[in-house]
Amino acid sequence: MEKIYEELAELLEVDNINDDDVLKEFEAWDSLTILSIIALASENYNKTLLAKDINGAENVGNLIALITA
Amino acid sequence: MNLLFKNKKISGILTVLPSKEVLFEDEIENYNFSAAKSMKLKMAMGYNKHRIVDEDTSVSDLCVYGLRHLLDHNLLKKEDIDALILVTQSPDYFMPATSSVIHGELELGRDVFCMDINQGCAGYIVGLIQSFMLLEQEQINKVVLLNADILSRKVSKRDRNSNPLIGDAATITIVEKSETPNTIYGTIKMDGSSSDALMIPAGGFKMPANAETSVMHEDAAGNFRSLENLVMKGDEVFNFVQTEVPPMIEELLSYARQNKDDIDWYMFHQPNRFMLNKLADKLGVPHAKMPSNIVENFGNASGATIPTNISYNIGKELENKQFRFCLSGFGVGLTWGALLMDIGNVDFNEIIYY
Repeated sequence: MEKIYEELAELLEVDNINDDDVLKEFEAWDSLTILSIIALASENYNKTLLAKDINGAENVGNLIALITA
Repeated sequence: MNLLFKNKKISGILTVLPSKEVLFEDEIENYNFSAAKSMKLKMAMGYNKHRIVDEDTSVSDLCVYGLRHLLDHNLLKKEDIDALILVTQSPDYFMPATSSVIHGELELGRDVFCMDINQGCAGYIVGLIQSFMLLEQEQINKVVLLNADILSRKVSKRDRNSNPLIGDAATITIVEKSETPNTIYGTIKMDGSSSDALMIPAGGFKMPANAETSVMHEDAAGNFRSLENLVMKGDEVFNFVQTEVPPMIEELLSYARQNKDDIDWYMFHQPNRFMLNKLADKLGVPHAKMPSNIVENFGNASGATIPTNISYNIGKELENKQFRFCLSGFGVGLTWGALLMDIGNVDFNEIIYY
């Protein structure tokens, strides 16, 4: 579980992230980050996500739930 | 569907690129995004420069230019051409077929069979499969396969999702019967239920172009385009490629009883560097065996990217050496396919500029 926080923090270009951090408020939140999250979910978690699923997640906790569900 | 062909070979590849080169930075102001975010995208995707045609250049212009080059340099003889296949999604007209236009321009004989195929990213695979099938005919010994697209003219300049990656090109591949028993393994798959993942919505008979279809709209991500522009659902296309292409390649290798290491070159369609590197990792293929540098140098010209990839990365070496190739194209349709074949000792393999 720790690992996904590290992986997402790296993609979001911050040192650490918390469940209630709002995704759209990250400086690095853009289409490339969303695509990188899709790639991460597919590669490491065997999970197929779409941009609209990720945008609908709103915060980090929801996003992690989506990826690891 | 698995396919098997025997005694056929590729004997030459010519790539024709427009001489007009546009840098990513030159178009950055057209996009509704900060320069910093666009530069980040450039690094990840491998955008640098792309080659595009002028407003008055058509697919037949590029193809005729390339064919004249081959005829003038005695690399091809008019009387040896038995069939002319053009794979394109940017035809000169709705009717007639652009291959007929090219046939007329070159004053080819009446026994030359011409056909247009509407295919994009997988167009090289589909075109080669069609060429091999024609060569099963006793009367057909040499097929000229043309892959050409000028989609820069259909992409909105204010669409950062598509514009920086699109390039224009025409390629000419000579496919003929071979004396040596060259076995070619192939596979081709389709999923029309996702045909809207890559499309130009307006301009055909279903939605004819009118004043309304030319109005520019902003999408959720901040890109501007009209219904007459190419639209790509980038996330869906990414998922499709990562999910469908690796198992298809594995299946084909197993059908052909070949190992991944037996393949010298994985020449794949070129959507962008990011997607190709992810694909290579998923397949467990070294990046050096799967070149991903076509978009950064020339742009993605749809069905022409695989032969462009071969011309650019192997060049003259192919004229006196032979390699085992895995060719794969995937995209619009959705269509995805692959071929395992030896290519080498060709008569020519080069790039010229229009």
